[in-house]
Amino acid sequence: MATNNEIEGFGRVSRTAGTLFRYLLLAATLFGLVFVTILLVYVANDAIRPLTADPGWHLTFFLTLVIPTLAAGAYANRRDIAALRTGVFTIGFVVVALMFSGGAAMIFVDIVEPLTWLAFLLALAVPTAVTMAVVSYDHRVSFVAQFVVTVAAFYLSLFGVPGPLGSLAGVSTMVPSLFGFVAGLPFAPAPWLMMAMTFGPPVAYVGSRYVAGDRDRRTHVLVGAGVLAVVLAGGALAPFAGVDPVPGVVVAAVGIAPPLVYAAGTAVNRPTERVGLLVPATVVVGSLVGAVAVDVVGFAGPQSWVDWAFLTSSHSSTAAEAGFYPAIGGSILLMLTVAVLAFPVGIGAAVYLEEYAPNNRFTRIIDVNISNLAGVPSVVYGLLGLGLFVTYLNQPPGTVLLGGATLGLLILPIVIISAREAIRAVPEETRAASYGMGATKWQTVKNVVLPRSFSGILTGTILALGRAIGETAPLIMIGAPNVKYSLPAGLSEAASAMPLQVYAWSSLYAGDDFYQKAVPAGVVVLVAILLAMNSIAIVLRNKYQSTE
Amino acid sequence: MSGDSLADDLTRRTQNAPPELLSRTFFFVCAALSIATTIGLIVLLTTEAAKFFTFSAPLVGVEGETATVVEFLTGTEWQPTSGRFGVLALVTATLMVMIGSSIIALPLGVGTAIYLSEYASPRVRSILKPGLEILAGIPTVVYGFFAIIYITPMLQPFVPGLGTFNMLSACIVVGIMIIPMVASISEDAMSAVPEELRQAGYGMGATKFEVSTDIVVPSALSGIFSSFILALSRAIGETMAVTIAAGSTAQFLNPFNPATYTERALPMTAAMIKLIGGDVTGGGLAYRSVFAIGITLFVITLAMNVISDYVAQRYREEY
Repeated sequence: MATNNEIEGFGRVSRTAGTLFRYLLLAATLFGLVFVTILLVYVANDAIRPLTADPGWHLTFFLTLVIPTLAAGAYANRRDIAALRTGVFTIGFVVVALMFSGGAAMIFVDIVEPLTWLAFLLALAVPTAVTMAVVSYDHRVSFVAQFVVTVAAFYLSLFGVPGPLGSLAGVSTMVPSLFGFVAGLPFAPAPWLMMAMTFGPPVAYVGSRYVAGDRDRRTHVLVGAGVLAVVLAGGALAPFAGVDPVPGVVVAAVGIAPPLVYAAGTAVNRPTERVGLLVPATVVVGSLVGAVAVDVVGFAGPQSWVDWAFLTSSHSSTAAEAGFYPAIGGSILLMLTVAVLAFPVGIGAAVYLEEYAPNNRFTRIIDVNISNLAGVPSVVYGLLGLGLFVTYLNQPPGTVLLGGATLGLLILPIVIISAREAIRAVPEETRAASYGMGATKWQTVKNVVLPRSFSGILTGTILALGRAIGETAPLIMIGAPNVKYSLPAGLSEAASAMPLQVYAWSSLYAGDDFYQKAVPAGVVVLVAILLAMNSIAIVLRNKYQSTE
Repeated sequence: MSGDSLADDLTRRTQNAPPELLSRTFFFVCAALSIATTIGLIVLLTTEAAKFFTFSAPLVGVEGETATVVEFLTGTEWQPTSGRFGVLALVTATLMVMIGSSIIALPLGVGTAIYLSEYASPRVRSILKPGLEILAGIPTVVYGFFAIIYITPMLQPFVPGLGTFNMLSACIVVGIMIIPMVASISEDAMSAVPEELRQAGYGMGATKFEVSTDIVVPSALSGIFSSFILALSRAIGETMAVTIAAGSTAQFLNPFNPATYTERALPMTAAMIKLIGGDVTGGGLAYRSVFAIGITLFVITLAMNVISDYVAQRYREEY
């Protein structure tokens, strides 16, 4: 053996292979991300077409928006990196809140009448108050009695007293429900005032709690009054901007007031981060100044396909006029239905498996079954919806309820798995402490486990909801219409959805016209909404992970 | 768990009080619903698919046209309108999606997993992981659109004979779509490899490269394989991207010949969409064939999930 060579080579390690490997791995990691980012930039360019704007338009906004924002950011960064983070977060918050408020406004403009909404809220608020009174009046009232009173209160309030033979026999109700009573009142305040009445106080209450915290009463009242003023101003000023007062109130309450409250909270409670608020302020002022300047000088903006008309009109056979409105509204309704149907069941199943399930064969079967259900292709869930609901239960195809139920079944395993993870992360000691205090299992779940795992569960459910609104195949299988010209008026009407509309445009209307105009615009809206939802989930997760 | 028995002991006296009973029943029903879903899925797919086949149709009381199992499983022509139901034409297309996408996703996914678990600093990881999640969150219909609008035209100068609809772009987008799945499951497996093994490797004078490839990857092999199988089952079930990108002509192609990837084809999922969304209306044989494809798809993906579970359990290195 050539021992000499071995000794000479001993201890020498070539770094080439390792370095090469490291960069190969980095390239592999970045490949997908970069690839998709490039595609997204392409599609955004096709949809928004920034290059069709006048150079002067770009220059104006560069001067009024980009440079001041960068300067404000740099200044905040020099003072405190946390301040910059707060500023950037506020901008994100504004964008997400405005998007959200747009969706909410859509519901109240086209689907739910303000009067119906008010009646429904009152019909829920009164029995809730009755229940709370019963529960807090005397703890010795037996659970069964409490339960009966609660159910009866809710039932009476929503459905009224049925006739002698009950409404099953088709006899009209003897006493109208509170819901029917309010909805049938001959006099009612203006719709926008009703919206302000229902939206203003809760937002004002939460806002004053957030900003004033444990300060004196006066601060609370001031903040609350400020928020109420913003909400009312939304309704009062909307007509001047050419918008109906009802969506004005909703946008003010959901889209404008919360970021303002957050900014006020930062200014009052976190003095070191106050300087970060310069960044969002610069963005808002910069955009306004830029818009006015561009208007005065007469520079044309980009001829974007994602414009007000696209967001508010319905499908058309020419791509330039085709809009996304019914699809957005359909997706919102589907999301609400999915949330109502799938979340309680999913979280309930997770609680059972983590807190109650005995260690036996049946539990293991459920366990394996859930992970297998998570792997079933979405198109097969569509078949389940089609076969079960349409063929056997004779439901009309393509309704919101049907779509929601199908998508709900689809995301149920995902909700269960993520909720279980969140519940498992609750430390065992907190449960033991609760039991040690003499709490029952249900009390422990209600007072310890669910509150402690709330943000984790919320993160998982938002991600699952994101998955649900991106799904197309199940909706096609249950016969959702490709083209819909209006929002569904109720849960039992057929609805389109954003991904379905994109698919319809890129298959039924395949051609350069739609490929270059409507489809990119639809993709941009869809991806923007999904990115917003995902970033909410990620921000939430980072927040609760850092606090634990 | 000891915590459980403690909780049981402490709550035994109250476990049958009405609120306890009510809440426990509710939670149990929620959990049992998942079993009901599976049973419903199996019963429905079986009975509906039974209406399609000659031997089973009389059992479920269906008269009219049927197809034989042999014809379904061995036929190579898929033309529902003229009564040809050879599922092999669809299965080969699905196989092509599987092979094509795995060529992209498996190496990149494992590379990503090694990088994230062994090389990336916590800060880099905290940026890359949400990025990958967002990659996984983009709707498949968007990927399908990307394939026909951007990827196919980009590839056309380099690949002669590439049509507007082709398997190649479909495979590329499906591959990219499943990278996050391979990466996250493999990374979990790699992070579970105990630090002592790595330390031992360094102690023997191994470089980081050698530790990664000779210690971490072999130790996490079962997790990596199970991630492969899960990702492939996802690729098989992937619907919208292939429906949009691969066209709608069923062809019997050789999945092992690279030249066939420039052709258009009709994977199983796309065939289902085409049948339901297209001109076929309720009740006919073509309509029932959807359930026959559906059960084929369900059985394949279920088998892959079970295998993946088995691999992960059976070959896991216990530390």
